[in-house]
Amino acid sequence: MSSLIEMRQISKLYPNGVLANDRVDFSVERGEIHALVGENGAGKTTLMKILYGMEAPTEGEIWLRGQRVHIRSPIDAIRRGIGMVHQNFMLIPSFTVAQNIVLGREPLDRGLVNYTEALRITEQLSKEYGLKVEADATIDSIPVGMRQRVEILKALHWGAEILILDEPTAVLTPQETRELFTAIRKLTERGKTVIFITHKLREVKEISDRVTVMRNGRVMGTLKTAEASETQIARMMVGREVFMVVDKPPVQRGGVVLQVRDLTHIAETGHVRLRNISFNVYAGEILGVAGVEGNGQTELVEVLAGLRPATFGTAMVDGQSLLNHTPRKVRELGVSHIPEDRLTYGVALDANVAENTVVDRYYRPPFTRNGFLSVGFIMEFGNGLIRQFSIMAPDASVPVRALSGGNMQKVVVAREFSSQPRLLIAAQPTRGIDVGATEFVHQQLIQKRSEGCAILLVSADLNEVMSLSDRIVVMYNGAIVGVFPDAQKVTEEELGAYMLGLKKQDPAEMEAYL
Amino acid sequence: MSFDVVLRSILSAAFVGSVIRVATPILLPALGGLISELAGVTNVALEGLMLIAALVGVVISAFTGNAWLGCLIGVACSAVVAILLAYFHLNLKADIILSGLAINIASSGGTIFILYLLTKDKGSSSKLASLSLPRIAIPVLDGMPVLGPMLSRHNVLTYVAVLLVFLIWVFLYRTRLGIHIRAVGENAEAAGSVGINVRRTRYIALMLSGVMAGLGGINMSMGYLNMFQRDMTAGRGFIALAAVHLGNRRPLGVALASLFFGFADALSNQLGSLAIPPQWVQMIPYAATVLALVVYALQGRAAAVERARRLQERLQAHVEATGGE
Amino acid sequence: MKERRKQGWFEFARAVGTILAALLLGFIITLFVSKEPIAAYRAFLLGPLTRTNRFGNWIEESITLTLVGLAICLVFRARQFSLAAEGQLYLGALVSGLVGLYFQMPALLHVSLAVIAAALVGFLWGLIPGLLKAYLDANEIVSTLMLNAIAIRIYNLILTYRLKPPEAGYTVSRYFHPTALLPRIVPETRITTAIFWAIAAVFVVYFLMYRTPFGYALRMTGANIRFAYYGGINTKRVIYLTMAISGIFAALAGAHLSMGIHQRVILNVSMGLGFEGIVVSLLARNNPLLIPVTALFYGYLRAGADIMERSSDVTRELVMVIQAVIILLVTAEGFLAFLQRQMRIRRGAELAEGKEAGDVI
Repeated sequence: MSSLIEMRQISKLYPNGVLANDRVDFSVERGEIHALVGENGAGKTTLMKILYGMEAPTEGEIWLRGQRVHIRSPIDAIRRGIGMVHQNFMLIPSFTVAQNIVLGREPLDRGLVNYTEALRITEQLSKEYGLKVEADATIDSIPVGMRQRVEILKALHWGAEILILDEPTAVLTPQETRELFTAIRKLTERGKTVIFITHKLREVKEISDRVTVMRNGRVMGTLKTAEASETQIARMMVGREVFMVVDKPPVQRGGVVLQVRDLTHIAETGHVRLRNISFNVYAGEILGVAGVEGNGQTELVEVLAGLRPATFGTAMVDGQSLLNHTPRKVRELGVSHIPEDRLTYGVALDANVAENTVVDRYYRPPFTRNGFLSVGFIMEFGNGLIRQFSIMAPDASVPVRALSGGNMQKVVVAREFSSQPRLLIAAQPTRGIDVGATEFVHQQLIQKRSEGCAILLVSADLNEVMSLSDRIVVMYNGAIVGVFPDAQKVTEEELGAYMLGLKKQDPAEMEAYL
Repeated sequence: MSFDVVLRSILSAAFVGSVIRVATPILLPALGGLISELAGVTNVALEGLMLIAALVGVVISAFTGNAWLGCLIGVACSAVVAILLAYFHLNLKADIILSGLAINIASSGGTIFILYLLTKDKGSSSKLASLSLPRIAIPVLDGMPVLGPMLSRHNVLTYVAVLLVFLIWVFLYRTRLGIHIRAVGENAEAAGSVGINVRRTRYIALMLSGVMAGLGGINMSMGYLNMFQRDMTAGRGFIALAAVHLGNRRPLGVALASLFFGFADALSNQLGSLAIPPQWVQMIPYAATVLALVVYALQGRAAAVERARRLQERLQAHVEATGGE
Repeated sequence: MKERRKQGWFEFARAVGTILAALLLGFIITLFVSKEPIAAYRAFLLGPLTRTNRFGNWIEESITLTLVGLAICLVFRARQFSLAAEGQLYLGALVSGLVGLYFQMPALLHVSLAVIAAALVGFLWGLIPGLLKAYLDANEIVSTLMLNAIAIRIYNLILTYRLKPPEAGYTVSRYFHPTALLPRIVPETRITTAIFWAIAAVFVVYFLMYRTPFGYALRMTGANIRFAYYGGINTKRVIYLTMAISGIFAALAGAHLSMGIHQRVILNVSMGLGFEGIVVSLLARNNPLLIPVTALFYGYLRAGADIMERSSDVTRELVMVIQAVIILLVTAEGFLAFLQRQMRIRRGAELAEGKEAGDVI
């Protein structure tokens, strides 16, 4: 008997040259809960987008219920019984739960939408699958966990036989996660099939029947969950492929530059994103922050850079408070920041290279003299950085839009490195750029370290963290769960265990090394 | 000054009647503006669309001798231009505000141009023997002492407008298409994910706003007045847009906001006859709209804070209930 | 470098093409409606150059349009959709008129005071929607349209009840004191010293935008507001100051109309000039140095339309249709893509044909 879904030799090559899926084979049996795990960028989401019709595969075949199919759009997928619950919910905030569930196929009564019937459908679905929702409440008034249940019910209402859940627990509290798992089991009891994307191994063990591990766009294997140990899965996920060699002089640690104590951040949604974080960064060292994305690293960086408020706690640079200031004040205290999302924060695409390199200092001499912008000087400065950082651009008057991703990142790096920072916060500094540019950025980071700069390196790329850092801390679920005072002496398996929440150091023990 | 005179004139039945009369050509385009606004497209071309319908209605009625045909073709022209606007915005990716303003400019100029061609007069269509839509005396009401002058013998489009407030409410909240329009305006991606054609829905919303603006224009030239005058809408399309915001983007709210604008307008006419500067009163609705923007913004912010607080409480309760993690 | 110049030429060619297309459409309409279409269009296209006073009208119009265009250019560059110029223009005309009517002082001082008063009121009238947008995120389109309506009512109120002499038949004020009038510098025209303001304003705006730290902050806020904020720019301040400074130029346009053209306060002084500034700025791609060029072009169209109306059977409103077509074609990004695609398809077809021909050989 053939599998319910079979994806054969799927490859996806994006126009920018990224090979997100490389001859992937993936199959799912009817009625199972199949976990799909892998680090960020491993290609899980791309694979599921292909199955859901949001992306077309470059190569490969999809077989559904023993027949070859071409899934052209999400609607096409829905009609074939495939539903997907995205991380950002596809809901209309001012509509009620029931209205959202029936949206697109509202029940009619003499030409008008029968809301009573919609409520009845919702209640019935809710009862049938044990997914509790308030049918008559509007989406913007209910908690995230319930919104997710609404999404699942919506998919079921569309007749989904196969449900893809994209990191469903990322937004949930532990209690809500337990409720979700109960509901998922109920779904499979009723013959539904669930594909569960995650990178939390505890959840894989708890919920899934089988697990497929992906890494770097390839499938590393599919295992029966009962027969696999967490360490085995972890090794498949984070095993190092190529060891990056970075020439690095021995660390010469100076005084404390950044001192963070009990830093807590509660997002506007009410979720606790950072829990009592404390650590120091010393002059002349690189402190690496490892962790699976979404465990508070983004918030940590943005709070320190002045882009988000802190709820409690302190952070000092050279003894001066850093928190809840404007980004300008933070920068004037000697903090530089390479943002994780280059296109959102890092550059203004339609401004030229020179203009992009002075956004943090344009108002100061020598960039502004006697109230006037020194245009010639700024252009020269930009040209200087182009040479110094080998940016592939004819000159500093070209708009940044004309550059490649790697060269855009070099513009960001050039700006942030050239301000002589005391503290450099580098978030995902090499994401999405080519090997040459990556190597260059790494060299520059080492160079800054030798100059006595304190560097906080946040990266989802374990290779990068391990080869560059002097010390490493691991973040999990908004807290620091492990600290490794000597980055040379730690293995990727060990880090992986902390990153995936399998292990946790005692806070009292960690204190001495933070 | 004689405030009791003002008061007496405001409290008169005739005054209420005039409020309704002047509110109609604001209410109709406002309902159109509401539909497109809810679809996520701000239609600033209401003003121009009204002018087009107002002129076409007058011209067609003058040449065919049929007022209803004038109304029909006038509204159709306005709808077609709205579709053209939609084409520029949705297909050619032109900015909706700028292309809307372009439609206004073309309509203002184009209507005068055509008016001159037909009548050799750039001011008004008084040379054309155009017709008006009938006024309707409501059987029982008409004879009543106070209610009669208030509510009876209005132009047929006034009653249509009142009816449309309810029809549009039903349309937006009880029909598939209306619900889809609101869904598209609020979260186009989500609407698209369940198979709603976002572009088509916005086309329909803009066309409907054209129809409503057209009815408003017809009301101006074939009811409120009995002819076309250059730029006769005098900013009503923009006032309608303000009424949409003042009415918090709900049909009944929009109707009340339009009445409020009508009230201020009618009052300023009354004051004019009493030698009190009418401009003071005319300013009120605009100032109220600015104030409403502020109030809605503050409300939204307060609601967000409140939501965060409630969620945090829930979370706290959770943490306590589960004993940490 | 070469690529960029090519891009620049392409932009230029596109602007010229758009204008020609719009003028052609205007001509086609003229063909349909006029008994002497050639003469009418000739009057339209060449009229402003035929007599001194006509030339004067053209330049006067262009001064106003330059100032309003600069006002729009500032806010658009910061990517704020403020349409406040119309109201600011009215208030500028009014306030300079109040100074011109109620004060008496030496000429230079009088004019300066009137201009400064106008600029100040324009600044304040721009500050209101600016603060609303920056701190409350209030939709600037709606707020500025409302403030325009309020400004026009204030204008009419003061004109009708304070400035209009009781004996006057029309709703106009008395003529200003001669000391408050802008000196006319070309005989037979109403071209005044305001032309120097307009020229100066172009350079001031250019300088402000490209040579001051504030201008840098303004352009970065317009280019990517999150980048600007991340880099340390106080984006809220940029938003409200830009809208306020823009008001100065719109108000100066009003002062020019009051003190230079009409020499008194008249009813309906603008009739939508604030919106015409949008066309001027759009055609100039929001580049302050190009604004006088597009203002002259657009002023020419308007002056030409006036002459056409007077000397033929085609009315001046034709130019409004031409204007609308220009806006639509300039803003339609998809139109450009559409043209390029058509070109590519045609080239592709030619290639295919060539290939077939090759096969035959």
